[in-house]
Amino acid sequence: MAQRAVWLISHEPGTPLCGTVRFSRRYPTVEKRARVFNGESYVPVPEDGPLLKALLFELRLLDDDKDFAESRDSCSHINKTSIYGLLVGGKELWPVVAFLKNGMIYACVPLVEQTLSPRPPLISISGISQGFELLFGIQDFLYLGQKNDTELYTKLSQLPDLLLQACPFGTLLDANLQNSLDSNNFASVTHPQKQPAWKAGIYKGKPQVSISITEKVKSMQYGKQDIADTWQVVGAVTCKCDLEGSMPNVTISLSLPTNGSPLQDILVHPCVTSLDSAILTSSSIDAMDDSAFSGPYKFPLTPPLESFNLCYYTSQVPVPPILGFYQVKEEEIQLKITVNLKLHESVKNSFEFCEAHIPFYNRGPITHVEYKVSFGQLEVFREKSLLIWIIGQKFPKSMEISLSGTVTFGAKSHEKQPFDQICIGGTAYLKLHFRILDYTLTGCYADQHSVQVFASGKPKISTYRKLISSDYYIWNSKAPAPVTYGSLVL
Amino acid sequence: MGPLSRENWAQRVATFRASPSAFMVGPEGEDLGRDLLSDLRSEKLSEQTKVSLLSLSLEYPAQLWPDAPAAEAAATSLLDTLVLLPPRPSALRRPLLLAATTALAAGGALGPTSGASRRLLPLLLGLAVGRDLGRGFGPASEQRPLQATACECLRELESCKPGLLGGCLGLLRGLMGQEGPIQPLSLLLALALRNTLVIKAKARAGLQGLLVAGNSLTEGSPWNWTLAEEGDAHLQPQAPSWSAAEEGECGLAVLEPSPEEARELRAAVAQLLDTSYLLTPAAQAQLLWLLGWAVRGLRGQPPVLFKPQLVRLLGTAQLTLLHAVLALKAAFGEALFTAQDEALLLRRLTLAAQHPALPLPAHLFYLHCLLSFPENWPLGPTGEEAVPLLLGSQLCRGLLPSLLHDPMALLARLHLLCLLCVEDEEKEEKGQDQSLRCYLEELLAGLRQRAALNGGPRALAILCFQASYLVVRCLAGQPMVLTPLTHGLTQLYRAQPALAPHFVDLLDRVGPELGEPLRVALRQEVVSRPGKDEALRWHLQMLAKVANEDAQSATLSFLQAAAAHCLDWGLQQALLQVCQALLRAGVGGGLADLLQVLARQLEDPDGRDHARLYYILLAHLSGPKLGMALGPSLAAPALASSLVAENQGFAAALMVQEAPAPIRLSIGPRRAEGPVPVLQLQVEVLEPVYSLELRFHVERQLYAPVGAVHVPCLCPGRPTSPLLLPLQPRRPAPARLDVRALYTTPTGLTCHAHLPPLPVNFADLFLPFPQPPEGAKVGFFEELWDSCLPEGTESQLWCPLGPHRLEALVSCHLEPFVVVAQAPTSYCIAIRLPPDSRLLLRLEAAHADGVPVALRTDDWAVLPLVGAYLRGLSAAV
Repeated sequence: MAQRAVWLISHEPGTPLCGTVRFSRRYPTVEKRARVFNGESYVPVPEDGPLLKALLFELRLLDDDKDFAESRDSCSHINKTSIYGLLVGGKELWPVVAFLKNGMIYACVPLVEQTLSPRPPLISISGISQGFELLFGIQDFLYLGQKNDTELYTKLSQLPDLLLQACPFGTLLDANLQNSLDSNNFASVTHPQKQPAWKAGIYKGKPQVSISITEKVKSMQYGKQDIADTWQVVGAVTCKCDLEGSMPNVTISLSLPTNGSPLQDILVHPCVTSLDSAILTSSSIDAMDDSAFSGPYKFPLTPPLESFNLCYYTSQVPVPPILGFYQVKEEEIQLKITVNLKLHESVKNSFEFCEAHIPFYNRGPITHVEYKVSFGQLEVFREKSLLIWIIGQKFPKSMEISLSGTVTFGAKSHEKQPFDQICIGGTAYLKLHFRILDYTLTGCYADQHSVQVFASGKPKISTYRKLISSDYYIWNSKAPAPVTYGSLVL
Repeated sequence: MGPLSRENWAQRVATFRASPSAFMVGPEGEDLGRDLLSDLRSEKLSEQTKVSLLSLSLEYPAQLWPDAPAAEAAATSLLDTLVLLPPRPSALRRPLLLAATTALAAGGALGPTSGASRRLLPLLLGLAVGRDLGRGFGPASEQRPLQATACECLRELESCKPGLLGGCLGLLRGLMGQEGPIQPLSLLLALALRNTLVIKAKARAGLQGLLVAGNSLTEGSPWNWTLAEEGDAHLQPQAPSWSAAEEGECGLAVLEPSPEEARELRAAVAQLLDTSYLLTPAAQAQLLWLLGWAVRGLRGQPPVLFKPQLVRLLGTAQLTLLHAVLALKAAFGEALFTAQDEALLLRRLTLAAQHPALPLPAHLFYLHCLLSFPENWPLGPTGEEAVPLLLGSQLCRGLLPSLLHDPMALLARLHLLCLLCVEDEEKEEKGQDQSLRCYLEELLAGLRQRAALNGGPRALAILCFQASYLVVRCLAGQPMVLTPLTHGLTQLYRAQPALAPHFVDLLDRVGPELGEPLRVALRQEVVSRPGKDEALRWHLQMLAKVANEDAQSATLSFLQAAAAHCLDWGLQQALLQVCQALLRAGVGGGLADLLQVLARQLEDPDGRDHARLYYILLAHLSGPKLGMALGPSLAAPALASSLVAENQGFAAALMVQEAPAPIRLSIGPRRAEGPVPVLQLQVEVLEPVYSLELRFHVERQLYAPVGAVHVPCLCPGRPTSPLLLPLQPRRPAPARLDVRALYTTPTGLTCHAHLPPLPVNFADLFLPFPQPPEGAKVGFFEELWDSCLPEGTESQLWCPLGPHRLEALVSCHLEPFVVVAQAPTSYCIAIRLPPDSRLLLRLEAAHADGVPVALRTDDWAVLPLVGAYLRGLSAAV
């Protein structure tokens, strides 16, 4: 279950090495066990330099992938997980857990407590999930609430000390590094017997509970007979419970209005102490029926100190909030476009913002646009080959708006205009960006009465809701578009 | 050297970290470990700098203190530093404990004879149980973190030396109910318990009340190493591989605790599980892996203990927790998970593998877990990825690939789709099957369309070919899939010939199901479109892979047309590669014409030479031999480029290879007869050798040149008659024969090897005189004896031999040369030394302790050789 080494590497394309090791930590006692367990098949953890090179090569992050290199590009060299074998000094170091996120490569080498030849199945290696958890924990620590590079470097400089707490010998004690940071600050507080390890100390102050529900809606709309449109709501409930006592008990309930859409695929935070089986089994992979559990969804829990994601869910609402139609016709050197958008009557018509982004990929810069909008304004970004239709805070009374126009393009020059591997030929999309405050598409809400707190003092309870768009695509109905299996009308 | 400043240390540490190996061979390498230990006590350095020094020692103890004595000394020094800290709060206590532990465990110094171990272990245990160690160990506020750290140190030591804490189980268990950090104690107890169970099971012993023993360790009493030594210091996997554990290697199955012990054990496990929700998810997962496999093999320990935890765990999205549940599933199967539970677990995994709130690496790992799911009743062979029985294609809908996915996700999901297609084919539920197959086809078409993009990134092409390969591997038996795939790939080639290296790679890796039709289609595609532009290079590369004896005329006319456009060296070589492929495929007539044209027409002399060579080979070698000459070399390592590899094979077949000889030569018994000395050579071979030619070279030209010896065939283990090697000495002197072998291996390569030199001894040159008639022997010898002088020389030697040993010596070594014998005491010996010398020996009047040897020769130069020879003989007898 232990890790032999951990690295953070920033990916820097265009530089000679294409990356820099920002942080590394080795665990020699684990390495010693690896040598014994792996026997003949043991491959030592390399120094940072060779590792950087091997990892970037394997992840195809070096700038030299112009030519076909069999050891990397062969059709049989297939990776289906984020776990790699790295060629270092003629031998293969395996398993290396690694992934790239926000320009940073997170990597570690879990201990395998047996010989590596033949390779044991990944599922049987406990260090794999522990390694992922550690890397996810580091990633969360670095990027949650991080605003700029200076802050990132401050956090990077804190990592050695934090890992000394959270993973002193390579065996992960706590993936929540913020918790390790806080425990330094709470060091002087006396700890009662049943202090959870994931709670660094005890809150002192005014009791308050805040619950915020954020729903993201994504959609793929094709405007075609033979392909079904798809849409899905993904919700996240974030809580912060400032309550006194070492183990305050709280029950938070999420409710739906009578016509609300049932919550499905619910994943809860580990601090939730028990779970109703109806919550556990309501899942989007089964066919929907009327008997679906529609709440209230009760989550008894012992909250940690910091803000946490109480649960995530998905939901299948009956209609998409905005129904769109997009058509692009190629006429000699120009494109003729038509867009219709309709807000569903059940949706709250009060946006923080609402925009439609209409990009044109794999073409030259826009040289000329003629258009007509029934509502809002159009902004033209010539060099980026992009149109942005700013719809604003409200749809008109009719709930329907339209845009039509012709766009002319200049000669294609590869450096500036965006390349896209999907939008080939006539394939094109527009993407909606919007946000509605104090609203959820499912109707899901948590009110003051839905929170029970078994602790001293009556806490102030505040709740927030919002709906935002995410991956809301409307495809050109006149050309092929990428489909998922679910959208094929069978 | 005095203490370094903070800046100096910072720089030194940075240089070290950049490349520890380079630093250690540098001038400062040797002193680093010593300086670090001494500067930890320096008052000039800040605590922060000291912590960074300790961090270095936590990561690189093997470099700083490379052997066990050095590690022991370092740990002692670190402990001394710890004791010397002033009683005020300090950030150094924790890292010092960690560093001393690391030094001992990583340096291999941990053991009963190590003084540092004898100090560290009681100290850690004292801290772990919350014993008051005095003000020297810091203020009260520091005690709790130190207590946790001490537990972690003990856990690490127990991991490295299982059984170390076997004697403290009762003590640790007692602590669980009291005040103290719950997580470190739980994990420590769980690990110690598990290791104790394994060691006791291996020794077929009971727990002997270890779980209920009270505080057996009082201050000052020696550490109990019994169990660690019983464990024989074998590391115990904390979470054994499932397959290994299934074979009983975790060794727990034989432990049958007494009812009382079983009750205690159950109580301990239940206690650990009950408080497990107080642990962080990562620690909970470790606890479950440890306890799961600890309880698994014990009779009378039903796994229901784990049941209350499961619902809570299944609800979370934590990778470690779901993984630990899967480990429990693998450990207990139906005993813990009914069919309904299994179905629920599969559903949770399925939704976790696609849940939008989880990151991609987690999705991919869950998908892997689904396809390797430890089923209660698996149908297929273990170890192969398969769709679990309870997971029908209906439930997998959301897991199917789409073009919008990231490449890894697309491949993982594509694999699932292929497995579903196979399954449906087997079930013959055609309706579903067709829609899945159609979807698969559309997906592949989309991938090909993206790969065909001009100027698109190579990653798109790689993905397309990986997907095609995956589909062929899973669905090789389904022509319904392969036919459109072949067609689609051919079209892709038409659109983007620059992908030729990918096609060559694909053809190298797929079986004949796709390989054969694709070859044919691609050949047709290439030869039907004569090119003269950029694509020609790719066409030629493609054709070198797919050309064979079919469609010869089309191929040849394509090549003829292409030749006119092959103006640079690279293109000409590519063209010749195709010719070579055709040669290998046994294409005859038309090719000869083409080669002749090329030999005249090509601009580049290298190209012309090659063409001519191929023509000569084609005209002079029979088919099989040609194949051998052009075939890839077995010895040549696989190189990245197939062009280079082919060329190597070709060169290897035509060139003589230097090789270690599979031949051993030795000199057999002497044959003292005939007009010249003849060596009898014994030959042994380790592998079949054909057309062996042995060439000899006499050092310093002491003999006339020796002719080569030819052997048609030699096989290992088959007796061979000795090879006779006549020598014509120019002087009667020993010599060394330098031997080289030239032979053909069974794979058709011609090899050349240098064999160890053969020594020709002085005695190997001895020849007898013709035997005189019976009565004239004495006279004959005397005549020879007299004839040596005055030109020759005479000498006397003493051989320290008794009469019987003299007889043995003569009969063994000199028998053929004896002219007159009065055994056992007196012999007259005459030896002919070619080219024209003689050596006469008189061994007469043997005494009890030796025999005087009188010798005469007409060649004074041989005297030292004779002396050495005789001394050697008498020493040997």
